[in-house]
Amino acid sequence: MKLIIGGYAQGKLRYVLQTYDTEDMQVLDGEIPENPEEKAVVNHLHTWIKKRMLVGGNPEAELFKMLERCPQCILISDEIGSGIVPLEAWEREYREQTGRILTSLAQKADSVERVFCGLAQKLK
Amino acid sequence: MMVLVIGGSGSGKSAYGEDCITSLSPGKKKYYLAAMKVFDEEDRQKVGRHRQMRQGKGFVTIEQTVDIEKALLRMEPGARTALVECVSNLTANEMFSEHGIRQEEDVAEKIADGILKLKKAVDHLVVISGNMFEDGRCYDEGTMAYIRAMGRINERLAREAERVVEVVVGIPVAIKVSNAHKSLAGILDIHE
Repeated sequence: MKLIIGGYAQGKLRYVLQTYDTEDMQVLDGEIPENPEEKAVVNHLHTWIKKRMLVGGNPEAELFKMLERCPQCILISDEIGSGIVPLEAWEREYREQTGRILTSLAQKADSVERVFCGLAQKLK
Repeated sequence: MMVLVIGGSGSGKSAYGEDCITSLSPGKKKYYLAAMKVFDEEDRQKVGRHRQMRQGKGFVTIEQTVDIEKALLRMEPGARTALVECVSNLTANEMFSEHGIRQEEDVAEKIADGILKLKKAVDHLVVISGNMFEDGRCYDEGTMAYIRAMGRINERLAREAERVVEVVVGIPVAIKVSNAHKSLAGILDIHE
């Protein structure tokens, strides 16, 4: 699994499509693959995390289960933790959880890249 | 030496900071300077999580929510190191109180002075600070002043630090590496 992170509107998806051979991969937006062995680029992973949290799911466990079935994924997520701590408890929880999930994905990932102004910095 | 560790919420900056000070502290007394004021259950949980993280690592905890340099009065002399957790809380505590909002310049100067005093008085200091500069939003004037104060403090500390490390999804990324203390470089395991 490859993990791509970066701020909003930094060209993360474009970078992935230009850099990796994604021809036989589906590009999903805010969704994760459902079928075993499916190869997918998951764009906007943070919105999927938010969705799962809102319905009381366990996004971290669900993601790791999915990765066992589909180890070939490219996961793209916004980094959302580098601002002022929000006033609403739910927003704080969402930011914190997303950060923690990305941190554990980064440990598992074969590579981690951060895209800034369309340029990728290899972190792992 | 002083290491400044910066990261966003949930970035893993605390875990990295703790590993960092631990690797710098063999044979030395290790202090954890906790700056967070506890107001509610969420804060208690946060403190609980951090306590659990550092359990068994041999820290002596000093709660110092303002006047960070005063932590020195509660430290024993001798070989010692300290971790400051974290500048974001310290800044909020110094800036906002029942007496109103203090000037951002004064707050920034006071906190940076205090931390640099600590730096002189211990063998190694690790300072954890927040990145709150990148959400592109506009807040009320008090909050904007707080963000500017944090920016000033980070700038000044980064100038004085031998190392500045940004933690991104748990991965330490080197922002500044000075030649001083090169012998210690290997043990910090930084991605350059």
